[in-house]
Amino acid sequence: MKTNIRVERAIKNITQADLAGLIGVSRQTINTIESNRYVPSTVLALKIARVFGKPVEEIFILEEGD
Amino acid sequence: MKERFLFPYWCKYLGIVLFLAHLPIYIVKKMMHVQFDNNDPSLFSGQHIFYISTALSMVIGLLMIAFSKEKIEDEQISQLRLESLKWAICFNYLLLIISLTFTKGYDAIDILRMNLWLPLMVFILLFRWKMYRNNRLIKDDAI
Repeated sequence: MKTNIRVERAIKNITQADLAGLIGVSRQTINTIESNRYVPSTVLALKIARVFGKPVEEIFILEEGD
Repeated sequence: MKERFLFPYWCKYLGIVLFLAHLPIYIVKKMMHVQFDNNDPSLFSGQHIFYISTALSMVIGLLMIAFSKEKIEDEQISQLRLESLKWAICFNYLLLIISLTFTKGYDAIDILRMNLWLPLMVFILLFRWKMYRNNRLIKDDAI
């Protein structure tokens, strides 16, 4: 699975820590999602999408082989 | 998000205190050459109270360190915890099988006694190491 969080963060101009604070997770979690080491739960994915005001599919994209 | 069954954050520090507290008690007993009456039939005999204050306080301490919440507890940390627990149990049983194969009698009893704290200890070390590694990766790509 690919993720656009890093790009979306840059557009919104917020840091990993800001995003983590907004959805109530640790900064570590945002970092592991961005670097493709952790796949978030549906709840967390929806929360992230809500912060950026976009549908989940625009932030998390399935890849070949998923 | 779902509430997970874990001790509150401060329990980690209480756990560390309990874990460390058993050492001075043990050392004092060794240094003073305290001998307990092994034939005391009452439940709270000297020997038993010593056991509670050392072995049990160590195990309760480890249990609290192992299963208390992080400052910010979330699903990714839960997964790390579960993963570490899995490897700790696997490692522990592998070690147990190997060591029981090559020992017998009193040595085997010592190995079983070691199992009172070994799985928890391995779990804590693994979990802490994984947390440390993740935190270091954050620093590497600090933005």
